[in-house]
Amino acid sequence: MNVPMGHNSPHESSAEHVMDRIAEQILGNKQEEAGGTARLFASPLARRVARDRGIDLSTVKGSGPHGRIVLADVERAAAQPQPASPTVEAAPAETPVMGELMQAPTSAPTRASGLAEPMPDKQILALYEPGRYDVVPHDTMRRFIAERLILAKQTIPHFYLNIECELDALLAARERLNGMAPQEGPRSFKLSVNDFIIKAMAMALQTVPAANATWTEEGILRHRPSDIAVAVALEGGGLYTPVIRDAELKSLSEISNEMRDLAARARSKRLAPHEYQGGATSISNLGMYGIDSFDAVINPPHSSILAVGRAEKKPIVKDDAIKIATMMGATLSCDHRVIDGALGAELLAAFKAYLEDPVTMLV
Amino acid sequence: MTSGAEFDLIVLGGGPGGYVAAIRAAQLGMRTAVVEREHLGGICLNWGCIPTKALLRTSELYRQIKEAEAFGLRVEGVGFDFERLIQRSRNVADKLSRGVAFLMKKNKITVFEAQGRLEGQAGLQGRSRVALTAKDGTILPSVTAKHIIIATGARARSLPGLEPDGERIWTYKEAMVPPSLPKSLLVIGSGAIGIEFASFYRALGVEVTVVEVQQRILPVEDEEISKLAHMAFVKQGMTIHTGATVEQLCNTDDGGILARLRTNDANTIEVTAARVILAVGITGNVEGLGLEEQGVKVDRGHIVIDEWCRTGAPGVYAIGDVVGPPWLAHKAMHEGVLCVEKIAGVDGVHPLDPRNVPGCTYCAPQIASLGLTEAAAREAGYELKVGRYPYSANGKAIALGETEGLIKTIFDAKTGALIGAHMIGAEVTELIQGFAIGKTLETTEAELMATIFPHPTLSEMMHESVLDAFGRALHI
Repeated sequence: MNVPMGHNSPHESSAEHVMDRIAEQILGNKQEEAGGTARLFASPLARRVARDRGIDLSTVKGSGPHGRIVLADVERAAAQPQPASPTVEAAPAETPVMGELMQAPTSAPTRASGLAEPMPDKQILALYEPGRYDVVPHDTMRRFIAERLILAKQTIPHFYLNIECELDALLAARERLNGMAPQEGPRSFKLSVNDFIIKAMAMALQTVPAANATWTEEGILRHRPSDIAVAVALEGGGLYTPVIRDAELKSLSEISNEMRDLAARARSKRLAPHEYQGGATSISNLGMYGIDSFDAVINPPHSSILAVGRAEKKPIVKDDAIKIATMMGATLSCDHRVIDGALGAELLAAFKAYLEDPVTMLV
Repeated sequence: MTSGAEFDLIVLGGGPGGYVAAIRAAQLGMRTAVVEREHLGGICLNWGCIPTKALLRTSELYRQIKEAEAFGLRVEGVGFDFERLIQRSRNVADKLSRGVAFLMKKNKITVFEAQGRLEGQAGLQGRSRVALTAKDGTILPSVTAKHIIIATGARARSLPGLEPDGERIWTYKEAMVPPSLPKSLLVIGSGAIGIEFASFYRALGVEVTVVEVQQRILPVEDEEISKLAHMAFVKQGMTIHTGATVEQLCNTDDGGILARLRTNDANTIEVTAARVILAVGITGNVEGLGLEEQGVKVDRGHIVIDEWCRTGAPGVYAIGDVVGPPWLAHKAMHEGVLCVEKIAGVDGVHPLDPRNVPGCTYCAPQIASLGLTEAAAREAGYELKVGRYPYSANGKAIALGETEGLIKTIFDAKTGALIGAHMIGAEVTELIQGFAIGKTLETTEAELMATIFPHPTLSEMMHESVLDAFGRALHI
């Protein structure tokens, strides 16, 4: 794993490494803190099984002598819904399996009590006649998606902002730029609308830095670079969200080429963990399927996600005259803990401004 | 009805489960009484564990002295005085029984030498009443308590047609204090009790035949251990019939017994013996306690309890042999403590985990085990790592002249959890607690491997067996 931390166990998830780094930022020097915090007492077997099953021992209550955590406690914790646990088992040490979702903080807000339990399988199966359906067993990705998105919907207070962007200037610029692009060689490129969207979002986050943020229980993390995760659907289901880092500093062609490479490797499941972790926002584009607009679910621990619909020609009113323009709908889902309504609106307005006048992204 | 003293806890039965429960209760500040109809210390101390160990010590010494020459010693005229060796066993038991009486006094526990019986409605105003009848039939004033623990133990089970007569057909009780040494002995049942007597009498030169209905002797042990034990006993001159039932026992004219055995393959074997020991299991002492009236459930001779030793009748608990197998004193003591602590609301009490209860059989060679057998572990679906280390490869064992034996360890390949340890050989009953500590603390193979075992000791074999399970044994 490409995380240069001093952990000695190959089984520990990179999510934990990431969280360690976050914790260090919040708490200051980790070494000093470690001396002052209470030692965690757990049996060797409890430790090993917790590690193998991805259970954070600090969230487990010990029932042994003096509160020592024993195997039974870990098994009990494993049997209960564990929204806060970074399901390590889903990600074998050396093989990246999960997407951006992987970054769940180990100290995510605990599940509120009184949440409804999902309908038991037995009850569901009773409603359908055997032989009239096939059972497709869950793979680790499916389980992971289910778990993380339940976590997102149960712990992140979502709200949604819609906007329409006029793309004619963008499309004209795109045509010109693609037209002058070298056809071959390292400097060749072919820009997509999505590359402009990534760049515009990166610039908007720099313009409205308060929205480039992540919630933790200790405090809000304000990110300096604009790291943008982009959802890539896989054939046969599932998705990855590789991250374009420092997107505000990169040219459109750099973003375009990097995205092409990341998407190709995502589809063949060859991404390294550091390539799909991080960021504070994601972009999900379903325009190519003819979707006008939709609301996306935030990937924990991000604080927003932009859902992009298709671009189509529409009559619009401009300078008191009806005019034909290419319009694209976008919906920003925001984590209200981090982004208030006005802040989200500012971010989305900035995004629209960059997108509609792409030359402004150059400064 | 006269009414006597009031207590917080009354324990029916002064055996290892009962008296330990009483001591723990007294430590926790409860006013406690023990009702014992016979001897403090119960069967264990008076007719079981302790006196048999005294007997087996004699037979062990005798065996060793007979082998003295191999150790460079010259001993002549070796023999034994049967009456005195039995007397020694009784002295040991008496001494310990007095010890228990002292412990009761020290902890200010009231002891009633009487038979107790639950009376009236249990949990009436939160108290239970116990009627007391002294040995001579005198009715004593009844006593009441908030909590009652039934720890009345168990006794030898008899089978239809195989009832002990105390003369030619013995239970453990007669076997422990026979007037003279029988020439030959038929032991029916090859559990711990049967095998210990078989081993003791064989060492003193008695012709011993063992009959076991199961396919192997010591059927609760790991199969590999049973097999090694079988071979060792046959080598010592025992005759063993497995997969055989006793159809009939007849008295013979010469004062002995003729037994007709039926094997699984429908053959009939006739065995004559001077005496028979019946060791086909034990059954709980559930009679005369007023259990039915209290709503205490009894199933096949044993009281039914939950994980906290509750019987379901309010304020009535049961522990030890009377609640069923494993019939072991240390299991009874552990239940006594956890039951009392649960009553007192002590923090962090855990139910008994049967997989952490070691079992010991003090035959020669000794047998000790903990956790699941290999077959049970496989059946439970574990993926296993199994380690073995023989006595014949251990320096200390060779120096002691005890090269017969094996230490077998079983781990869960997935988690490294120790799930079973099975041992046969010299002193394994003293060694097993090393694994018991490890298992109770939930160590994995890593901690056992990292533990430094002193050299030269028999315990090194435990280390090597663990190493062997993971392909890392050093001395083999």
